[in-house]
Amino acid sequence: MCPETFLRVLGPKPWRVAYPQPSRRPADGRYGENPNRLLKHTQMQVVLKPPPETIQDIYLQSLAELGIALGDHDIRFEEDNWEAPTLGAWGIGWQVMLDGLEISQFTYFQQCGGIDLDPISVEITYGLERIAAFLQNVNDVFEVKWNNQLTYSDLRREDERELSVYDFEEASADTCRKVFDLWEQEAARLLGSGDPAEAATRRIPLRKAYELCLKCSHLFNILDARGAISVTERVALIARIRKLATRVAAIYSARESQVLEEARA
Amino acid sequence: MSGPETKPLLVEIGCEEIPARFLTNAQRHFGEKLKVSLSENRLLPDHSEVNTYSTPRRLVAHLPVVLTHQDDLEVTVQGPSLKAAYDIEGRPTRAAESFAAKNGQTVADLTRVQTPKGEYVALIRRTAGRAAEDLLGEILSGVITSLEFPKSMVWPGKNGMRFVRPIRWILVHFGADQESVAASFPIISGLAKEFSGAGIAVGYETRGHRSLGLPGPIAVENFDDYSKKLRENFVEFDPSSRLAKVKNQVQALLDKNELKLVGDSELEEWIVNSTEWPRAILGGFDRRFLALPREILITVMRGHQHYFAVEDHAGNLAPHFITVLNMDGDPKGLIRHGHERVLTARFRDAEFFWQADQKIPLRDRLPMLDRVTYQKDLGTYGDKVRRMRMIATEICQLLEGQEKITSQETNYALRAVELSKCDLTTQMVQEFTELQGIVGGLYAAAQGEPQAVADAIYDQYRPVGLEGDLPRSLVGAVVSLADKIDSVVGGFLAGIEPTGSSDPFGLRRAGNGIVKVLVEREIAWSYLHLITVGLRAHQAEPSGNMADRLEFFLTERLAFYVERARGYRPDTFRAVRAVGIWSVVEAVGRAEALENIRDTEDFVSLSIAAKRTRNILTKSAKDISLGGLRLDESLLEPGAERELYEAYLQAFETVTPNELIAGSSSVGVSGPGYIGDPLVQLQRLATLRPAVDRFFENVMVMVDDEKLRLNRLLLLKLLDNHVFSAIVSLSEIAPGPAHVDASTSKAPSEKR
Repeated sequence: MCPETFLRVLGPKPWRVAYPQPSRRPADGRYGENPNRLLKHTQMQVVLKPPPETIQDIYLQSLAELGIALGDHDIRFEEDNWEAPTLGAWGIGWQVMLDGLEISQFTYFQQCGGIDLDPISVEITYGLERIAAFLQNVNDVFEVKWNNQLTYSDLRREDERELSVYDFEEASADTCRKVFDLWEQEAARLLGSGDPAEAATRRIPLRKAYELCLKCSHLFNILDARGAISVTERVALIARIRKLATRVAAIYSARESQVLEEARA
Repeated sequence: MSGPETKPLLVEIGCEEIPARFLTNAQRHFGEKLKVSLSENRLLPDHSEVNTYSTPRRLVAHLPVVLTHQDDLEVTVQGPSLKAAYDIEGRPTRAAESFAAKNGQTVADLTRVQTPKGEYVALIRRTAGRAAEDLLGEILSGVITSLEFPKSMVWPGKNGMRFVRPIRWILVHFGADQESVAASFPIISGLAKEFSGAGIAVGYETRGHRSLGLPGPIAVENFDDYSKKLRENFVEFDPSSRLAKVKNQVQALLDKNELKLVGDSELEEWIVNSTEWPRAILGGFDRRFLALPREILITVMRGHQHYFAVEDHAGNLAPHFITVLNMDGDPKGLIRHGHERVLTARFRDAEFFWQADQKIPLRDRLPMLDRVTYQKDLGTYGDKVRRMRMIATEICQLLEGQEKITSQETNYALRAVELSKCDLTTQMVQEFTELQGIVGGLYAAAQGEPQAVADAIYDQYRPVGLEGDLPRSLVGAVVSLADKIDSVVGGFLAGIEPTGSSDPFGLRRAGNGIVKVLVEREIAWSYLHLITVGLRAHQAEPSGNMADRLEFFLTERLAFYVERARGYRPDTFRAVRAVGIWSVVEAVGRAEALENIRDTEDFVSLSIAAKRTRNILTKSAKDISLGGLRLDESLLEPGAERELYEAYLQAFETVTPNELIAGSSSVGVSGPGYIGDPLVQLQRLATLRPAVDRFFENVMVMVDDEKLRLNRLLLLKLLDNHVFSAIVSLSEIAPGPAHVDASTSKAPSEKR
């Protein structure tokens, strides 16, 4: 979860952003053999804070703008709530189905970094490979034409294969754990301890600390995909990452309210 | 004279897509809460209709008859007693004055009421009725904000509105024509004030189907107009009409293509609750996927894609599916094509899982179970399998002793137990959790385990519900029992036993499964031993309070089974239970025998006599103790008394020799305390009836002569112990016309 989302949904300041974001999910790796599923796919992420009241219509209109004829297709909002326990974040929403294919996740964020959001934000993610395959009317995301010479397969098939081999077969659990520990220590050192309001007045590189927290989260996902985590370890690892994430969020929120107070004064 | 003036009320809550699984309940609660709130506010005449409807985007209530005005309310408030209210000279006292003042009236307004305690002063408090228009805003906002969902959200901020998804509009119509628009104004402005912060548009407009209807709000005049305009805008707001539509369309597709549906009422409900304008279409997939097991194909289609699976007339899965769109049709076939593509990718995923999972056979996955939590206080699945093994070993010993299974089958059962949970670590089960067990069975077969082992793994979660299929073999029954006994005993030990209507770990269902398997597979296993074995597997003390609670729990499950699966009357089981239960098999046998005989004339009469006997003994037991006394035959008077004794001896000796007479309880650890067929025995008992009747007609028990009285009480006690409570406790039976209880026990009798 990009800091442009994680941090900006905190606090009262309105915010609107859209950006493409590679999304890595080790457990979704299929060695480049599945027509719809990728270990690393690209999402267009949109965050609107607060959400406009006509947001669903706006979203549907955005699909029409992409070239999907709404009258010819069956677009459904099916219950699907989103949760990232390592980041203390969750929301309520749907997966958006286009003729039975999930193309978007549509989430009203309720909590982030363990903080109740006020106002809430809406996050809409567009699965770009799937939408491209749909628009180009091909049966497999790897058949998507990147340009006149290259397909998505030319660009990405080998990546998928190799990433799957690493995450499922080769990843060294020992190394992952060691690196996890190091990054965690570094983040914890940056974030310090004590009152977040006090920490907010210091020159803490929050975004760097958050990035390290994300790296830990990814290592956790690799360990999980490898089946290398025991039950108790799993709970403990999630708690360790969550601790970093909630600390980042608490300091960021404190900074935001300090800025707001200064503006009022 | 015409009645009070009424108007129809139409309310629609327009919401972003409500999850299908919540919709049916949400519709019902909406109606119930409206009804309660309007009744409390004296706006709903008794027995008036509250019609509710729903789609994913709306909850609708239509009440044809709502009062336009509350009645004036008169409440009589009771004050001090007459004595305290007036002094001797009849002047109001301070108490009377302050009572009147407190109610905003004067002593001149006081009246009198007569109560069982005497006469009191009272006041009539009148509240003028208010116009419905002035009340409905508050009533409706109260109802809307009180609707609860299993999972809801807040918007626009943390102290804002809470609902399942954001509400976007509310339509209110109070009245049947144009003029109602004006009449509804106070209601609408009240609601608007309440909800504008949450961005909800309150008014007279509804909305059509997202892509097929007119864009924007659609004004309606009354309920008929609402119905008509919604249907013109591709919204069928009545779920029962959508269901009928889906059924008809599906049937037409089946008929046209000579296919049969793999029926699924849950899926039907999901479809009805996730569409506003359903349209069924047929799609297809590549035949090569039919090589995957049927169970997996169906799960992929129904679980992930909400498709109906279809078969040919021979019952083989066909390379087709039916999906229901929320559209009017698919003239270009684009939507069908999209679904087919998605399904192909899903099937390829299933193929991938299947192939990836075979790299580590089930037998090598056992150590991995030590990393999978079963329940936080009950360890891992590795621990659970070790416990199941202990339980299964005991059951197999029992069955081998009864020559019901061979030692080879014991080996199969233990092997199946060991592999039973290994599929939890497979990708297939992680993707399709509902296939746990089934995938294990399929993999075991593919990996060369004996078919008996594979089938037992496959069947381990059977039976599902009272109507569900049993495990196909005794080996499978052993695995199923071991799983469920471990779950139930473990659940009780971990303090997660069911309470009231809450049973988050499904222990009642597991208990029902234990009973059904034991009874229908005729596994005569001592009840107490079963509990002891379960507790020992958990290294818990097999005695005391925990064992008692488990025994009570299982007996309740057995009662449920006897009533629901067999359709016997509740007092039939009470009569069985009162005597004690050795095993569920024999208990059901006795219940069946009793159910068959209890309506015969002799038996009805005997039951009445049993109750009478019990009453006499209970009453006399207050005053005297019969303990240690023996019946003195010489004191028996010739005639009815002696005849009864002889009839008793004769009937009894042929039925239940020594053991019963010697034992105090009729149930032992080694076996039930009676022998032979319970029906034959009950028939023999029934032959006592004339002698019993004659005794009660002609012999006085509570005579003055103490010796005689005690001797007669002893005779009754013999009867009570050895006849009326020998096999079942006859005094528990409520005599009366046949099946009086059955009609109220809503027991659908199951095929036997």
